Amino acid sequence: MLSIPPTLAATDVASYLPVLLLITIVVGFAATNLIASALLGPSRQGDIKAMTYESGMNPVGTARKRFNVRFYLIAMVFLVFDIEIIFLYPWAVTFRNLDPSLSDATVWLGRILFFILTTVVAYIYGYRKGVFRFD
Amino acid sequence: MLATMGLITGTAAGGAALAAAPGAEALAGAGGVAGVSVSAHGAPLAVLAIALLPLLGAALCALTAPLRLGGKLPAWITVGGLAAAFGLTVLMHSGVSGLAAGEALVAHGYEWIAFQSGAGPGDRFVAPFGFYLDSLTSLWMLFVTGLGCLIALYASEYMEHDVGLGYARFFVAFNLFVFSMACLVMADNLLLLFLGWEGVGLCSYLLIGYFYKKPEAVAAAKKAFIVNRVGDFGLLLGILTIFGVFGTVEYAALFPKLAAGRDALGEPLAAWVGWVVPLLLVCGAFGKSAQLFFYVWLPDAMEGPTPVSALIHAATMVTAGVYLIARMFPAFTLDEQQWVLGLVAASGAVTALWSATIAMAQHDIKRIMGYSTISQLGYMFAGLGVLTTTGAAFHVFTHAFFKATLFLCCGAVMHGFAGQLDLRRLSGVWWVKGWGIIGAAMLVGCLNLAGFPFTAGFFSKDTILAQAFVTPGAAWVGWVLLLTAGLTAYYTFRVFFRVFVGPVEYHPGQDDHGHQGDDGHAHSSQHGHAGGHGHASGQFHPHAPRWAINSVVGALAVLSIAAAATYFVYPQEHGWVGKMVGHSTAAFAAPGEHHSGAHADPHSDAHSTDLRSNGAAHAAALGTFLGFDPHAVMYYVSALVGAVGIGVAYLLHGAGRRTAATAGADGLLRNPLVALVHRGAHRKWYVDEVYHALITLPLWVLGHVLHLVDRLLVDGLVNAVGAAPKLTGGRLRVQQSGVLNGYAVAMAGGIALVVLLVVFMTN
Amino acid sequence: MIEKIQALWPEIALFVTACVVMVIGLSPSAAVRRLCGVVTGLGLLAAGALAYTTPAVNPALPGLALYGKAMVAGIGLVLLLLASGTVDREYESFLARGGEGAGGQGRAEYEPLRSTKGEFYAFFLFSLTGLMLTAGATDLVWLFLALELTSLPTYVMVTISSGRDRSMEAGVKYFFLGAMGAATFLYGFAMLYGGTGTTSLGGIANALAAQRAAPGGQINPIAMLGLVLSVVGIGFKIAAVPMHFYTADVYQGASPSVAGFLAFVPKAAGFFALLSLCAAVGWGPTGDTLAEPLRSVLWVMAALTMTVGNALAVVQTSLRRVLAYSSVAHSGYMLVGVIAGPGPAGGGTLMTSGVAAVLFYLLAYGLTNAGSFAVLGCLERVRPDGQAEELDSIEDVRGLCQDRPLLGWALVLSVMSLLGLPPLLGFFAKLPLFGAGLNAGEYALVVVLALNSAVAAFYYLRVAAAAVLEPGQVGRGPVSVRPTTARWRPMAAFVSAAGVVALAIYPVTGWALFGARQGADARSEPAQRAAAEPALPSDPHAASVGATPPAPAE
Repeated sequence: MLSIPPTLAATDVASYLPVLLLITIVVGFAATNLIASALLGPSRQGDIKAMTYESGMNPVGTARKRFNVRFYLIAMVFLVFDIEIIFLYPWAVTFRNLDPSLSDATVWLGRILFFILTTVVAYIYGYRKGVFRFD
Repeated sequence: MLATMGLITGTAAGGAALAAAPGAEALAGAGGVAGVSVSAHGAPLAVLAIALLPLLGAALCALTAPLRLGGKLPAWITVGGLAAAFGLTVLMHSGVSGLAAGEALVAHGYEWIAFQSGAGPGDRFVAPFGFYLDSLTSLWMLFVTGLGCLIALYASEYMEHDVGLGYARFFVAFNLFVFSMACLVMADNLLLLFLGWEGVGLCSYLLIGYFYKKPEAVAAAKKAFIVNRVGDFGLLLGILTIFGVFGTVEYAALFPKLAAGRDALGEPLAAWVGWVVPLLLVCGAFGKSAQLFFYVWLPDAMEGPTPVSALIHAATMVTAGVYLIARMFPAFTLDEQQWVLGLVAASGAVTALWSATIAMAQHDIKRIMGYSTISQLGYMFAGLGVLTTTGAAFHVFTHAFFKATLFLCCGAVMHGFAGQLDLRRLSGVWWVKGWGIIGAAMLVGCLNLAGFPFTAGFFSKDTILAQAFVTPGAAWVGWVLLLTAGLTAYYTFRVFFRVFVGPVEYHPGQDDHGHQGDDGHAHSSQHGHAGGHGHASGQFHPHAPRWAINSVVGALAVLSIAAAATYFVYPQEHGWVGKMVGHSTAAFAAPGEHHSGAHADPHSDAHSTDLRSNGAAHAAALGTFLGFDPHAVMYYVSALVGAVGIGVAYLLHGAGRRTAATAGADGLLRNPLVALVHRGAHRKWYVDEVYHALITLPLWVLGHVLHLVDRLLVDGLVNAVGAAPKLTGGRLRVQQSGVLNGYAVAMAGGIALVVLLVVFMTN
Repeated sequence: MIEKIQALWPEIALFVTACVVMVIGLSPSAAVRRLCGVVTGLGLLAAGALAYTTPAVNPALPGLALYGKAMVAGIGLVLLLLASGTVDREYESFLARGGEGAGGQGRAEYEPLRSTKGEFYAFFLFSLTGLMLTAGATDLVWLFLALELTSLPTYVMVTISSGRDRSMEAGVKYFFLGAMGAATFLYGFAMLYGGTGTTSLGGIANALAAQRAAPGGQINPIAMLGLVLSVVGIGFKIAAVPMHFYTADVYQGASPSVAGFLAFVPKAAGFFALLSLCAAVGWGPTGDTLAEPLRSVLWVMAALTMTVGNALAVVQTSLRRVLAYSSVAHSGYMLVGVIAGPGPAGGGTLMTSGVAAVLFYLLAYGLTNAGSFAVLGCLERVRPDGQAEELDSIEDVRGLCQDRPLLGWALVLSVMSLLGLPPLLGFFAKLPLFGAGLNAGEYALVVVLALNSAVAAFYYLRVAAAAVLEPGQVGRGPVSVRPTTARWRPMAAFVSAAGVVALAIYPVTGWALFGARQGADARSEPAQRAAAEPALPSDPHAASVGATPPAPAE
């Protein structure tokens, strides 16, 4: 299994100081912002102001409006294939440099083929679910 | 059930199918105890099936109820299953009888319970589901499965008024009983024996309470169960003590230790073991076998259906106590004084006499048979107590057949005469059309019970009687038993002369079972005189037993005669039963007996001096019967006593009787003294009342006092304790508000606390 | 690297089955859709058979993977019976009626978007895949991914388990709190890696042992903090205090079938993970105690979990909340076994090995609990307006033994087994926990365990008494409890009830001991280890308990 030499991993408490610092900064930043905006900002309340933020759309209105649920489905399918591409890129870049005589090469190929297989299953599933039908 | 069975047999096939412990060379000493040898006899799978077939039968019978499989299917399942089990038992017997004396086969099913608390000896508690097969096991199993099969066939007709759910319920419990009995008898360790012991108790409870709408039956079932609990507690303590001392409950490991007198660590036994262990075991045996102080449940148990009375409460279950003592006999002979055996002998003799006197004054013929069973069990215990395990086992064996015959005859009468059991309201049953076989079988049974010469009961009773006079210090037991033999002959033939012969007259009982389905007669309280007296009112017709009852009763009568023949085979070893017992752990050379086989007649050599040096008896101390050799003269003495009893019964109850209700004894009862004694015996010597006053009532009062304490004090405490979790829960519940944020904050707080704890602890 | 696949055949079988089920669940043909459950069952059977090919992967607990996978396949089959018919029952019958009634008109076409059947079964299988992977985990990254693969599908299963708002609320709660739990133990894993320099469990074990062996003899504080955070985070999976808050809401919101699933699958995953981690720390050279702060944390968690779970269960009126809090309490019991460890070196018996006790308890609890939830799932209550709703209150099972004897007695059996009544499986499962606790010297904790068992009797007996002692409800008034149309669910109840009785008789205990085989001695003796590794339990009984034939006479 992957194991980074212990020299790289810090076993010393002191070497975690940056992490602690980061946590402090993160918490501090969030707290400062909240407190500052509460103290400094003008607080004008109103109906529109209290309305839920919905990507600029008007969240309140007639419920009888037609609303295509496929928008979300498309978004989900996009996510699936998007992630596939994200995984394929680094793999392809690394695989190019791999020594083809290594026995590991086939393993690497097998792995990505398995990954693509899962994507295919997702594709068949999406097809069956009717995601790609626009009628 | 099926799955379990599959697993069991699977394990048996795959795993340790035939485990056995090495033979015991140095064990031929005092008491002659079994070692265990490896032997290929007896297929273990088939042996397991002897117990599992009835279990399967129980499951199948239970299935017939929800499946609405009507008719007598449960009965045929039972009869078939038990017949197969009997067949296997015969096969097992043939395997076991090839073994040399003191050998046994162990069929190891699987490890039922195994706990280990350490590595030392005695730190591992193992109770396998396995069977220990020697000739004692085989003897008991032969009549358990054989009689079980016959009585199931009888019950198929007897219980037909209840065809349907009740029928299935009956046969489920019946099968379960045979399974439990098989576990009890064949167990290779005391815990499995205890499982069977409790199992037969449960089935007895279920079957006594079979007519659960009858308050008496329910009360009787409860009584049987509770009284048995007391004894069972003793047995459990005994088993635990044995484990504590010997570090094992498995016979194969236990018997060598008993024989060598060594405990789990190989140290010599402490003195107390020699009497504490037997005393505790005897406690269980007295409960199950209805001996004195515990016997009160058995007469009441006659509320159950008659086949149950015959199988469980006469032939098999109640002899479990005898079996236990015979099986654990090496534990009883540990002590030099063997005073526990003396206690057993005394208790047996007193029980025999006590219940015989009660039986003399009862009117309910089934109850008479119940008291007679207690009395005969007393004989068996007396036999064990005077060191003739052979006699005790032989009496168990013969008693099983003739008492089953008697009960089944009474049952047939009850079945045919609408539940009538009062001997004052029945007469001349033998002469009613269709009752020939029952009458003849009854005669055979009565002759056996009375110890009429050349019947099986005669020989088995003689063995015990004679030995009682031989064993030093037990002569009074012999006299008590001899007196009891006379009384037995009297009350037995009282029933016979009153009910089965004499003028024909019958009145139907209150119970209307058996008349709903097939003949549908109205049977009011009007009574009918039929046959000889000629003025039959025609309202009530007894229905004669049909083929199942007739054939079973006939077969049992024949068997109870044939049982006498077993006395004459293997004469060197005191008959067939003697050989079986002699080859098992119960083997014990009774004083005056010998096992050399030098003489063809085992009874002419009572004064042979070839005694085992067991410390209890010396040749010089052997008793005699009025100066005669008891083994030689007892035949004549007991025959004479029996004949006198029968004669008295004829004079008082047979001769010159005109109606069912009157008899020659009535004149005698006008004597106030006789009437007083009769009333006392009739009321069972007021034992139930005494028990009620001494035990039940104080307990009742104590219960109410404790109830008050409980209500006021304990409930208060418990409520306080109970309120604590509730209160805590109430407090905690506030946090279970269902709000996501709250949960998240609480979880984060918890994590923070844990982190703080760790940081605090590491620094 | 390719050899790793050889340890994964059961998981691969489940994964392939899940893919197939996902697709055929969306078939336009009702007959094909109906095959989903059957295919799932076949997949589980195949996985169960393949589980026996599992080699010993985890050096510290070589038997865990095999035992875990086989047990998961077995219990999975019972859970499948329970889960069948959870989703789409109404929709399928609506389609079968030709779309008439209930707002439909005329012939109805199958709309894949309205169906969730394939997804449900696929998620069921994915979750079990994750659970099997957890049992075979040898690496922290693997362990994390496996735990999440176990949990993520359950969030969805809760949400879609019934069409009601309550399920969705429960699903959302479960998801967010679950994410928090996962974040906690992921953080812990990261610190553990930081403190030891490796993610491999074997490597961690070696590193921790080296740290303890060094002069000074302490586990690195970073590693210890990581361990503790991991344990607390995994506490979410097993519903241990302080991560138990979600339990009742989620179990009550989900349908009973999914609640039964939740009570076993994440809990088993959590305990597999806890055992793997604790084995890496080691219970000390003599197998007695864990390293100190970790032991204290587990101790406090165990005591609090039992007590809080039982105390809260006592005050509930909802049967599902009772079962939920009892599930919390059972986790507390099992933590006793985790603390106790594998017992004396050389392999203890069930009475001395806490690991074996936990593994056996998981099996017993999974089986029994599936039974009690199955009985709930078999019934529904008809409201006065004619609508059916799921069973919830204890009142609803009043007189069940009289009205529906089979279901009623199945409920009573499972509840009595959960209580740990002697002749039943639950007793034989709980007893070893006591034994192991005593053997490890945790007397105080065993006392807490005993007291809690007594408190538990209060609410379990209340349920049993309602079912047995109260008169039947049929034919008394309008409110009525009726069976649902899920056909296979009663089977789950009966199988569980039969198992509760039968497994107590047949010694599966030896099997659990196999799973608990300790790696410590195997590690010290390479030859022995090599011999132990291919040892498949052709006769698990003989391999463990039955090593001694009936004690031969000397």
